[in-house]
Amino acid sequence: MSSSAEWEVVIGLEVHVQLRTRAKVFASSSWGFGQEPNEQVDPVVLGLPGTLPVVNREAVEKSILFGLVVGAEIPARCAWDRKNYFYPDNPKNYQLTQKDFPVVVGGSVEIELPGASRNVMGEHKRIRLHHAHLEEDVGKLSHAGSGSLVDYNRAGVPLLEIVTEPDLRSAAEAEAFLRSLVAMLTQAGVADCDMEKGQLRCDCNVSIRRPGAPLGTRTETKNLNSISSVRDTVVYETARQIRELEAGRAITQETRGWNAELSRGYVLRDKEDAHDYRYFPDPDIPTLELSRATVERLAKQVPENLYDRQRRYMDKLGLPFTAASVLVADRALAEWFEAAVAAHPANPQGIANLVANDLLRDLSAAAGAATGFGEAAPAPISLASCPIKPAQLAGLVKLTDDGVISKQQAKEVFAEMFRSGQDAAAIVDAKGLRQNSDTGELEKIVQEVIADPAVAKSIAEYRAGNEKAINALKGPIMKRTQGKANPGLIDQLLRKALG
Amino acid sequence: MAEGFDIDHLAKLARLNLTDAEKALYSTQLSSILGHFRALAEADLPSSVDDARVVREAALRSDEPGPSLGAEAVTRIAPAARDGQISVPRVVDDES
Repeated sequence: MSSSAEWEVVIGLEVHVQLRTRAKVFASSSWGFGQEPNEQVDPVVLGLPGTLPVVNREAVEKSILFGLVVGAEIPARCAWDRKNYFYPDNPKNYQLTQKDFPVVVGGSVEIELPGASRNVMGEHKRIRLHHAHLEEDVGKLSHAGSGSLVDYNRAGVPLLEIVTEPDLRSAAEAEAFLRSLVAMLTQAGVADCDMEKGQLRCDCNVSIRRPGAPLGTRTETKNLNSISSVRDTVVYETARQIRELEAGRAITQETRGWNAELSRGYVLRDKEDAHDYRYFPDPDIPTLELSRATVERLAKQVPENLYDRQRRYMDKLGLPFTAASVLVADRALAEWFEAAVAAHPANPQGIANLVANDLLRDLSAAAGAATGFGEAAPAPISLASCPIKPAQLAGLVKLTDDGVISKQQAKEVFAEMFRSGQDAAAIVDAKGLRQNSDTGELEKIVQEVIADPAVAKSIAEYRAGNEKAINALKGPIMKRTQGKANPGLIDQLLRKALG
Repeated sequence: MAEGFDIDHLAKLARLNLTDAEKALYSTQLSSILGHFRALAEADLPSSVDDARVVREAALRSDEPGPSLGAEAVTRIAPAARDGQISVPRVVDDES
């Protein structure tokens, strides 16, 4: 008897990411999503006679920055090769890529798996990278009737291909890896990774084996354009391979495609009958020697790793996982939070609560109202246009911590701050929200209230040991102070008065 | 199979239908060419030969977008075009 539980799935990913540059990687033509077909094409992109490719410095530096983010080696030299194949998405009949001397070697990406529940941190793991190389994207084909149409706008867009070691062991790990990778790429400003715009595409290698056995035959599912497609492909391909092997058939090493609408994979017809890309060093692009000074300059741009930041928030600032994980997911948000903490270091948890809950909620509601997106499609959060500044939020938390306003009132003040951009103290004064912490005055009111025969029963119950009965006395006190009495102080004074 | 290559495989990649006589002839010629390159590869040359192909970062292009040809010019040099795109015989790699 054999069962799925005895199989181990082994996954390796090749992630293609369009780098955040203005011009193409070997040509000066601009690029961007949503242009009319073939409007972003120049003679170098088309490989017309007499043209020569020249490497874009920004594309190289973004690649190096990525390498530094993942702790990789940046070799002193990198070089480009021609990958020859005949297909209309490729105007030159070869793609410029890096085969033997990539710009980034090794490195690793820390991932976080989902926890047992939303407020529990899951297991962390490190996924090794084999290398990352800088190449050019290819054109886009669309099929219409008996012909195909070619748009070369995408041809020549800088593409960093990030290749993992076969370290991933489940669909959940593959998903966690991609989420972590996207966070690192976007937080370092290397790429925007907008999957709706095809800025991140994945090839997914899957094989199965008995634990401890040598690697099984793998299949490669190409051109997955969403994290969910990668996850679904792993689930589908694992089940399919188990079925094949358990039926006594062998796995064929093949290239596959994924139909996201039908949630199923299929065998791809290869671009060529026989795969032989006849790689050779590109004679037009000399080997590039990178200076250590450049690498050192870029190293200064590497932001704090998001999980290092999360650990710091939890260990040093005492934040719960829920708040810490929300804050670190967005670098601008984390930096905003840190600016607020700098202004009021005594209560990072209080600040985190307001930022991770109230501020994010109001920001996304405001962004949603501005762009017409509903709740289902949260619009990007823009802290740049946030009406509240970090120091102002810190001021609000300080007022609460000092007992000037209650936590309940803080919510009201927060809402007003978000509307008007005013300081918390100004709003508190304008609305007359300052809590009454005048002990003498409150003591007098307490004495008056407990003297009222209407509350005699509650007092008796409290004295008989019913703790909750004391709450019945707080209402009348609040009423007499128009709700401004400091609740903590009332409680204290009542207990004293009742002995 | 001749030394270092498979003439049938190469013919297939080059989309050539070769007769047996042609295969034999080209195998001999290709072996001779490869032998010549092998001799070059084995030659004892100073490593600075490789350095001649090395450039430093100053040779890189700045990230400044330049002009594009425009779809009209791009499609005009193509054998066939439609709707601003280059038209080619149908190529399929979707589910079939």
